[in-house]
Amino acid sequence: MQTDLFTFFNPSEPCAEQGGPLQGKSFTIQPNMSVCDWPTEAGSPALKKFVAIEDATVIERLKKAGAYLVGSTCMSELGFGLAGDTTGKVIAGGLSDMALMMDMMGEVRIAAARERVFGFKPTNGIISRFGLIGLVPSMECFGVLAKDPTLIAAAMGVMTGQDERDFSMDETEPPSFDLTDSEKLSIRTMGIIRECVDVLEDTVMSKFKTDLEKLKTWGFSIKELSLPDFDLFRTIHQCIGSVEASSSCGKYDGVRYGHRCHQAKNWNDMYLKSRAESFGTLIKSYLFQGAYFQFQNYDAFENAGRIRARLAGDIHQLFAECDVLTFPTGNGHTADPKTSNQVSDIYDELALTLPANVLGIPAVQIPAFSADGEIDPGLQLMGPRFSDARLLATACRLSRSVEGGR
Amino acid sequence: MTFQGRSECGRLGLSDCGSDVFLAGWVDALRDHGDLLFIHLRDRSGIIQVVFSPDHASPTLCQTAADLRNEFCLLLRGRVQKRAEGTENPNLETGLVEVMATALTILGKSDPLPFTVSEKAMVTGATVSSADTVTEELRLQYRYLDLRRPSMQDYLIKRHRIVKTVRDFLDERGFIEIETPMLTKSTPEGARDYLVPSRVHPGHFYALPQSPQLFKQLLMVSGYEKYFQVVRCFRDEDLRPNRQPEFTQLDLEASFIDEEFIYELMEALICRMFVIGGIDLFRPFPRMTYAEAMDTMGSDRPDTRFGLRFIEATDIFQNTSYGIFKQILDRGGCIKGINIKGRSEQLSKNVLQNEYAKEIVPSFGAKGMTWMRVIDGTLESNIVQFFSPEEQKAILNRFGAQNGDVIIMIADASYEVVTTVLGQLRLHLAERLDLVPRSTFSPLWITDFPLFTATEEGVTSSHHPFTAPDRTDFDPTDREALLYLRSRAYDIVVNGEELGGGSIRINDRNVQNKIFRALGLTDNDVEEKFGFFLRALDFGAPPHGGIALGMDRVCSMILQASSIREVIAFPKNRSAYCPLTGAPSFVAMDQLQELGLFDVKENDIIQGMDQNLDTVDALSWVSRIGIEESERSLIADAVDEAVRLAEIIGAKAGADDPLFTNINAVNRMRTKGDPLPSNHAKKGAIFKNAPAVKGNFFKVAAVLEF
Repeated sequence: MQTDLFTFFNPSEPCAEQGGPLQGKSFTIQPNMSVCDWPTEAGSPALKKFVAIEDATVIERLKKAGAYLVGSTCMSELGFGLAGDTTGKVIAGGLSDMALMMDMMGEVRIAAARERVFGFKPTNGIISRFGLIGLVPSMECFGVLAKDPTLIAAAMGVMTGQDERDFSMDETEPPSFDLTDSEKLSIRTMGIIRECVDVLEDTVMSKFKTDLEKLKTWGFSIKELSLPDFDLFRTIHQCIGSVEASSSCGKYDGVRYGHRCHQAKNWNDMYLKSRAESFGTLIKSYLFQGAYFQFQNYDAFENAGRIRARLAGDIHQLFAECDVLTFPTGNGHTADPKTSNQVSDIYDELALTLPANVLGIPAVQIPAFSADGEIDPGLQLMGPRFSDARLLATACRLSRSVEGGR
Repeated sequence: MTFQGRSECGRLGLSDCGSDVFLAGWVDALRDHGDLLFIHLRDRSGIIQVVFSPDHASPTLCQTAADLRNEFCLLLRGRVQKRAEGTENPNLETGLVEVMATALTILGKSDPLPFTVSEKAMVTGATVSSADTVTEELRLQYRYLDLRRPSMQDYLIKRHRIVKTVRDFLDERGFIEIETPMLTKSTPEGARDYLVPSRVHPGHFYALPQSPQLFKQLLMVSGYEKYFQVVRCFRDEDLRPNRQPEFTQLDLEASFIDEEFIYELMEALICRMFVIGGIDLFRPFPRMTYAEAMDTMGSDRPDTRFGLRFIEATDIFQNTSYGIFKQILDRGGCIKGINIKGRSEQLSKNVLQNEYAKEIVPSFGAKGMTWMRVIDGTLESNIVQFFSPEEQKAILNRFGAQNGDVIIMIADASYEVVTTVLGQLRLHLAERLDLVPRSTFSPLWITDFPLFTATEEGVTSSHHPFTAPDRTDFDPTDREALLYLRSRAYDIVVNGEELGGGSIRINDRNVQNKIFRALGLTDNDVEEKFGFFLRALDFGAPPHGGIALGMDRVCSMILQASSIREVIAFPKNRSAYCPLTGAPSFVAMDQLQELGLFDVKENDIIQGMDQNLDTVDALSWVSRIGIEESERSLIADAVDEAVRLAEIIGAKAGADDPLFTNINAVNRMRTKGDPLPSNHAKKGAIFKNAPAVKGNFFKVAAVLEF
């Protein structure tokens, strides 16, 4: 095993429940997901030496379904961006059948696109987040990477469903992940957003156009739509996300867990110093942005919520004209993990994936449309809330088409 | 509307029955019985029950009354009548009568209250939820409501009585009150000053007084002979639980006097003040030297309400073979102990060894503790086998030990460690074993303080450099000899709390110069700091001395309040912040510039950046995240970016209702049963990841700096 891809290997032998739907399948997690007695540092000094004291609900459910937990991959600090993340490599390298990853602005889809595998972000609120160390509660959820989209659907089927330990779940009955009824799940019209396409970089644009041509030849109709406020997704994600991060990082006080600076002369000093040492510069910059909105310009946070409401309405109208929206997954930017310590670099890279997080809608990244070329930004489908199974069914169909077409 | 002829609610009684009265006040509580409405009307004097009944009041009046809520401010008229038998309220002083309302004006409506103001039940036996149970922060935020509570009014009214007593008494004794400036120069108390920038003299500052020390001495030079002042003083110190950044002091000074004058005056005054709290003190107050207080109780403000005095045991172990004691004594150390009479049941081996020896005593600063329990006339302990029979017998004799006693000894190479640790232990044990008698007040004068305290290089004044030494023939260069000098200072201590202190001052310029030389101050230092004052000593300064009492503390002790904040109308909280007004607060940049705190010309170019640095620091503080200097520019850029984003968002906001979540979640309540502690809490798993734990608690740094 490649140890530089993992922070922890499961010390126990595979001895899974027999006969579950995921019998014999392996999966990995990130170190911000709780497995009893495993180190769970979430990539941050803020949780240095933290050891989880119980299993997350999803871990319990996957284990019960027969899946074997391989280990814990490497992740960016608190899951913000992809610096140092190894989830995609673990799947591409065949070290695990599936990988769980937190998606707060598209990390799952981008990690999958980089390694040319499938990545899926479900509708927010259908999977229990109990045991997940999150950062931006209104926009993040568990996502799954795999080479085989049917496996993603099977894992989703196991993980979804009410959990009394997570009080933030959607009341609506979660969608079925049974992909057998292909007729019901089929889609015909894919929408593209003009304001998004117009500003794509040349290489990404030409790749995307080729993809659209292929889709047409397979019988999908492509419909050009307009969303003038498209560029605001990114702006309000940054505002809302930073405020939520600033708020949820309040718990890292170095009292109940995490890092404590012991050279503090009083309580306030203890917080200031411990928290100074708990966060890297990148996440700290993000937290300061959140603190600015929270403490000095709360109107901006509320106004971001107004724009979010408007965008939700706009997208709802677009879905009346098409079954799914399609975008490239990546947009040609890659934040260099070594030099990038600016929040805007992260947002540059994830600009096309984050709308799904702002609106809590499902999205799937489909690889290999561009297998012939050097550049593969990946192809992304976003559907309305609870259209998860449709997206995955389409992903399966497209993956078969791609393989068949080769 | 006229308020003439108003009666006081709290003074109505049976003799008023049948008369029409005119009342104003607040709705303390109300009780609606359908067609009958009862309210408690409260003014400063007390509470009276008012009844709105269709028999006495018009239908319009009853309708108006139906809208009444707690703390509405009212004006009403009515007839006093004796309450029906069996409906008297013994909770109220006016509980035998009630007022049948005939007219009502609502003077001011009240919003719903953040906490209960009422302290009196409307019916016998009912309990009233007290505002004492809400957080002090909330009480301070709505201090004007908190101060409506009768118990708080009682505190402030009694405080007024105490201060008035002081003024009357000192006036009788020939003292006159003279005001001294608030905008002044740094004084020699040695705490941090609150500084006030001068607009007229840019870059120059006044200091708010830490005490009127030098001014009152100047008034003695000016021949006023007996001065006093009830004065506000300011110290910018890290707060301790019972301290305020500004506090009120009774400051007095007199000429041609000695210590006995001060003792007599203050004892008479303090006795009179305590009478207001119904407390009789006995005179004369006992006196104790600083040395004796340290030697027998380990504190310069000992609590003398209980015993547990230290017993010297060094000589018992002069020839001991017990290794630890031997080593300590070889290094010139000492051994002292206390005998806790008859408490061996509460102080089990387990408590003594695992709590005191392992946890508590080390936290006081000693390396260890020796304990012995007296059982059947012999000593029982984990180390008693190391003591010879003679030593054991000597211990029993010296400590007057009897069965059931517990003896605790501290041995250390340092006398200070032994006395201060035993001193803290003495207080800890007294508290734990409930040895402190309630409602007992034990005043005590502490005298003969050391004039100087040793520092690494030399010496520093224990009080301030104008305190007279007990002798004047000392050599200011002989450090050892200086440390033996006593001062003519005195503290008044009650129940282990220092209520005040003072001294006889130096009035001889030569002695004063020797003190400065001992302190290692150069002529320049002295001139700059105290030049104006020292010159005054050259013009026939009389012998004089004085004292200052902390009035907040004195009042809170006399009124037995839970903290000094209870006897201050508008106090700051424990972090020197006023939740009511929000002080201290940011000020505008141009205000700072006007005061010359920013040199505009020099900083014109980077002015924007300056402001930005301020924002970063402000955000760092509110989110309690420190930053390294190396991170500052990146974080400042990020905050700039946030400001730009906010502008875009503001321009595009629109009018939709904000959407904070996409999830159709509902409030979920536990369906039944009591709240249960998590299993992780029960098993202690929640402590597994804690950086520091003490017993069953997460350990944190001290809330306040000590």
